[in-house]
Amino acid sequence: MDKFLTAVALVISLNAVLCLYRAAVGPTTQDRVLGVNIVGTKTLVVVILVTFIQAENFFLDVAIVYALLLFVVTVATSRYLEAEGWKEAG
Amino acid sequence: MAREIIAGVFCCIGTFFFILGTTGLLRMPDLFTRLHPSTKCDTLGACSVMMGLAVYSGWSWELLKLVFIACFLLLSSATCGHAIGRSALRREIPYWRKKGGEVEDGHGA
Repeated sequence: MDKFLTAVALVISLNAVLCLYRAAVGPTTQDRVLGVNIVGTKTLVVVILVTFIQAENFFLDVAIVYALLLFVVTVATSRYLEAEGWKEAG
Repeated sequence: MAREIIAGVFCCIGTFFFILGTTGLLRMPDLFTRLHPSTKCDTLGACSVMMGLAVYSGWSWELLKLVFIACFLLLSSATCGHAIGRSALRREIPYWRKKGGEVEDGHGA
């Protein structure tokens, strides 16, 4: 079962690396925020898988804090980009 | 043994939806169409992997924490998608239109 969970974590990490393409070259800033959000969700799932691969319980608390931080970062960045008088760079 | 089989099936479903979400994020032509597969990938993929691991862990504190993370992710993913979409709408990012089709006002909606 450990090998299977490691394989799942590797596939999800590969997906996260592919999603970094959208965060790097996204045409608009909102595309970049979306890409970072998706990469963060995949990292969260990888952290949860590492909990069960290594049988260390405290990684789940790390995952809870990571989920809360991800939510705050995405909503705050979107509200900041939405504000009046902000011009896109370049 | 049955518990591990159920966990494996749920993890495979979640990985499939993650691959689907990545494909949509890379291939879709527009921000508003990219929002659709990416939020599906969050809710369906991550939550099914977490449900599979909750079945695998059995009755313990890990199950409670996993269910809590899954419920929070169901709420926060939808909220994040809505916030990004509203930000793009207020910034008047242009829509994608099919080439050669009927072109209407881009910022109607």
